[in-house]
Amino acid sequence: MRRVARVAIWFVWLALIAAIGWDVAWHLKISSDLRDFVPPARTADQKLLLDEIGKGPGSRLLLLAISGMPQARLANLSRGLDEALARDPAFAHAANGGNDLTEIASDLLPYRYLLSPTLDTHRFDAAYLRAQLQQRVEDLSSPAASMLEPWLKRDPTLETLKLAQLWEPPRQPKLVDGVWFSDRGEALLVAETRAAGFDPGAQAAAIASLQKHFASLPGSARAKLSISGPGWFGVQASRHTRAEADRFCTITTIGFVLMLLLAYRSAVPIVVTALPLLSGAVAGFALLAFIFGHAHGITVAFGFTLLGVAQEYPLRVFSHRRVGVPTSQSVRELWPLLATAIVSVCIAYLAFFASGVAGLQQLAVFTIGGLITAGVCTRWLLPLIVPPARRDMAATPGLAQAWHFFAHLPRPRWLPWLAAAVGLCVVAFAPGQFWQNDLSALTPIPKSELQRDARLRAELGAPDVRYLLVLRASTAEDVLALSERVAPRMHQLVASHAVGGFELPSRFVPSAETQKARQAKLPDAADLRSALQQAMEGLPFRAGVFAPFVADVEAARELSPLTPAKFEQSPLGARLESMLVRQGEGWVGLGTLSGVNDPAAFRVLTKATGGAVHLLDLKASTESLIAAYRHRILIALGVAALLLCIAVTLALRSPRRALHVLGPMTLATLLVLVVLRACGIPLSLFHLVSLTLAAGLGLHYALFFERRTGDDREDLRTLHATLVCVASALLVFGVLALSSVPVLRAIGLTVALGVAFHFTLSVLMAPAEHLRREN
Amino acid sequence: MALTASFGALAAEPGLAESLMSGMAKTPPVSTPFVQVSYRGVLVRPLVVSGTLRWLGGDRMQRDIEKPFKETANIGDGELSVQRGSGEVHRMPLARAPQAGAMLAGFRALLGGDVSALQQDFALSAQGGTAHWVITLAPRTGQLKRQLASIVIDGREHEPRCLTVTNANGDSSITLVGAMAEQGLRSAAPLESALAARCRNSQ
Repeated sequence: MRRVARVAIWFVWLALIAAIGWDVAWHLKISSDLRDFVPPARTADQKLLLDEIGKGPGSRLLLLAISGMPQARLANLSRGLDEALARDPAFAHAANGGNDLTEIASDLLPYRYLLSPTLDTHRFDAAYLRAQLQQRVEDLSSPAASMLEPWLKRDPTLETLKLAQLWEPPRQPKLVDGVWFSDRGEALLVAETRAAGFDPGAQAAAIASLQKHFASLPGSARAKLSISGPGWFGVQASRHTRAEADRFCTITTIGFVLMLLLAYRSAVPIVVTALPLLSGAVAGFALLAFIFGHAHGITVAFGFTLLGVAQEYPLRVFSHRRVGVPTSQSVRELWPLLATAIVSVCIAYLAFFASGVAGLQQLAVFTIGGLITAGVCTRWLLPLIVPPARRDMAATPGLAQAWHFFAHLPRPRWLPWLAAAVGLCVVAFAPGQFWQNDLSALTPIPKSELQRDARLRAELGAPDVRYLLVLRASTAEDVLALSERVAPRMHQLVASHAVGGFELPSRFVPSAETQKARQAKLPDAADLRSALQQAMEGLPFRAGVFAPFVADVEAARELSPLTPAKFEQSPLGARLESMLVRQGEGWVGLGTLSGVNDPAAFRVLTKATGGAVHLLDLKASTESLIAAYRHRILIALGVAALLLCIAVTLALRSPRRALHVLGPMTLATLLVLVVLRACGIPLSLFHLVSLTLAAGLGLHYALFFERRTGDDREDLRTLHATLVCVASALLVFGVLALSSVPVLRAIGLTVALGVAFHFTLSVLMAPAEHLRREN
Repeated sequence: MALTASFGALAAEPGLAESLMSGMAKTPPVSTPFVQVSYRGVLVRPLVVSGTLRWLGGDRMQRDIEKPFKETANIGDGELSVQRGSGEVHRMPLARAPQAGAMLAGFRALLGGDVSALQQDFALSAQGGTAHWVITLAPRTGQLKRQLASIVIDGREHEPRCLTVTNANGDSSITLVGAMAEQGLRSAAPLESALAARCRNSQ
């Protein structure tokens, strides 16, 4: 084929990839909804966790600290930021200690006698009113008189103030210049995002908006704004991971290009090898868009990793070309083996499709579609754009010597069995945790940031992100009633230091029953007037000055109780909204806790309420979900391994030959596990996926070494191809293993180790008589 | 008497307020007895309390009421805390009670002679002579103006005598300090006009 035609096809191919890729990028929604990626919840707590994941009151909270300036100016910045956040629709609420709760309470002013606990213990009779009015007289001489005076005529018992105090956070930092300050002199704020805590996209947008507000405040340039909280960590983690992945990508790309130049002494492989892989990825995405309409972020990340196998296809072709033989013929000769590898792996991945977990099904579709497309592209499209070979890779200097070296390595037959036996012992009996269930161990958040988060959380009395108090009942009203019953016991737990503080839904809206009981105690206008008259005797108040009070009490007697729905429309509503949620047929109240010291102490509560109230350990629930998820993956992988064995045996039509392929693969996988276990590294899902990729690569090495061509030069070409593939995999994943991001390090280390073991064992366990045929 | 001040020549001049105030500059702690008479729209007769005012240095003030009940108010670090008798201590940020802040800033200026702190929030003007001088503080900022009409300080020779705070709603309080406070009130419920006249009067 002429050069012009080749280049034209190359361009069309590239343009097609770009066009389809562009179109798919528009249509495919990348979700970060974890529900896609975990098996169906079994327990009610798991269900709650999945429903509420990241939406819970604690996880949407960002903790802010402003430092680096005199306190008076920090206080100004704090007020400025608080005002900006109050206007920002991305935030449900913000607080810096300066918020005047009496203003908020005035919205609910008509309901104050139903919401405030005063009437639980007192009546508006002459004695109580007199004591109150006596205090008001004294208040009028106090420096704070101007604050109370506007309320006096309507609210002489100061219910509004009591409500404001009731709704203040349970524990507050000290106030300087009217705003919260830490012991280290930082101005403190909390901001609650509307977006879920584990929605990194929305969190990043909210945080960017917050930082913009701060930057636009006068004088903020020299102050430092520190952010903390689950949302911030999520954004940091993905940013850090992406930055590091990008940096490594540059390094490995340069290394990869140099290596290709060195291996093939031609620029052609550089511009061509990526095309089948890219085509596979685009096809995989298109399938996802077509079948599912969306893909999970984890599917994409795992899928891309697994698709890395396809990088080998074009490299094999380049190594096997001969001078004077059309590329299409070389590909055709190579195809049966390549097809065997592709089909075996695809059959194995079918197991993922049968797992019943949406995310894993997506992974299977993406990987199978991608691998087949990459294979087909390599077989039929690649030969069209590659110029005729100008040199035979078998003639590469040193290659024959390398073959000789590999062929004459000692191969004691008992060694693999011994290695397997020892390996199994190490894997089974090495001390240390086998599985990594703690997702936080995988986050790349520096320890200093985690410590700062703990410090700010303690200073602000911000709710614990690990524990929630779960109150279950059939209606929202019943949840409120339950919450009221539990409150005294919670106070006992605070007194016994089992927990530092708590906030229950009934703190904002009492149950209708309680409200009605308070309402029933309100005197009628005539009684109240006469009680007031007696109470005012001898006090200097002007007659009739409390008429607005009498009118308000009269109005409150006719009110229907405040419902949670109505309260949720008030400025404080967002706080209740996240604490009172519908789940299936029933309702769930979520009490926030701070400083949980003794989780076991909450069992008393569970016992007393017949199980309606219990402490939810989000960490334990997440871990149980992860364990369940891993269980599914392990089953899928087991079935996949079985299918692979059957496929390879059928393809090679000989159990003995199949053993030569599957033996090294299995042992190499075991040896990677041995190294990880011996190093005390607990296995995460990322390790499992990496092991799978390494096994896929190992299958290639073993298949090609096992191949009998009867042609020395073809054997050398196989060795060339395998060496290039091993070197490129080691380069890419070896660099990744140096990463500071735990996830990248896990993938890099596992695959690099795997490639090294798979290659070594493929060589050592290949039939010796076959290798030692001297040239 | 802790409150003594050496005033220079007095004249109804711009800058008089500053020179009066700076002439009163004292080293804390400084204290003076006080008698405060409050006139409120909701009340039929004035409220009278008396006790001691202390400037502890910096922006820290303490106001102790001894009669007719016990109350201690502290201001400092932008916070106001009030404890009546042996009851609970109520704290609130001064930002929420700007008038309390302004009033205490006025007392502090009176005792400490610090004009600069006042000039941020108030326009100062002064008039009169040795026998009687008046410094008027008019609030500058909107928030303060909504609550406070003016603070007027009357004095004679070396001594401030009265501090009159008039609220935007017409309520007012007159606080006698120094020798005036020691002399006490002549009636249990003095008329506002009578007390104001006494502040202006040179006796």
